Amino acid sequence: MKTYYAAQFDAMGDPMRRVIVERLLASPKPVGVLARGLPISRPAVSQHLRVLKAARLVTDRAEGTRRIYAIDPQGFAALRDYLDRFWTDALAAFKQEAESTKPR
Amino acid sequence: MTPPRNPTATTSTSTDRAIAPEPIEPVRKAITVNAPQAHAFQVFTDGIDRWWPREHHIGSSPMVRIFLEPHEGGRCYSTQEDGTECDWGSVLAWEPPSRVVFAWQITTDWKFEKDLSKSSEVEMRFIPESSTVTRVELEHRHLERHGAGAPGMRSAIDSPNGWGGMMRLYAAEAER
Repeated sequence: MKTYYAAQFDAMGDPMRRVIVERLLASPKPVGVLARGLPISRPAVSQHLRVLKAARLVTDRAEGTRRIYAIDPQGFAALRDYLDRFWTDALAAFKQEAESTKPR
Repeated sequence: MTPPRNPTATTSTSTDRAIAPEPIEPVRKAITVNAPQAHAFQVFTDGIDRWWPREHHIGSSPMVRIFLEPHEGGRCYSTQEDGTECDWGSVLAWEPPSRVVFAWQITTDWKFEKDLSKSSEVEMRFIPESSTVTRVELEHRHLERHGAGAPGMRSAIDSPNGWGGMMRLYAAEAER
């Protein structure tokens, strides 16, 4: 888990990669559309996408001859895991409280 | 009164940001509580301070009390030892004794999120199985909306008060 997070930190540490992630959060895009309006070349955008993909923040799929990039929901797995654990603990505490104070 | 809708109108660009391309599967939980429906509902909402895990708050100092105001639009907030109040959600639906929905307005770097379109939501259903037994179902959904805060993930996981810190607190609590 540690190395997985470390890759995400490094990937998100770059301001251009943060811009790319923000654009992909709006909707999946091919690299050409992503590169539009960015002050870097298309190959440079592709290089950033490789880093983001390695960090499991971005996925890609083939659509005809081009690749469409999208946010990798696995990148949010940590949030989901956290809430899953939190609610298990919280509901157990709630059950205990509700049962110990129920009207007789 | 309202202007007729244009059936050919497409979605606006300002709203598509809130819709992540890949929805995240909601967190779903269910437990059976040996208590009547009304009591289960009351303890969950009005009595939230009696069971909520103390370490779970986004305030600037230790939490004193946690509140869920009992009406639609009500605030979900906590009070802290330093005297501050800290909002963390709001009541979206209030239907005692069977259902309550509240927004989870906590960013991935543990700050209050004012924008509901970037907040997830929690639906609680209280289903009577008998006069003394209640099935309580939880659905925490629209988690992908927090994606808008993904750039904050770094600080969320990295900072001592962030993810790692919370996970450690939980591990400690779970093993107690």
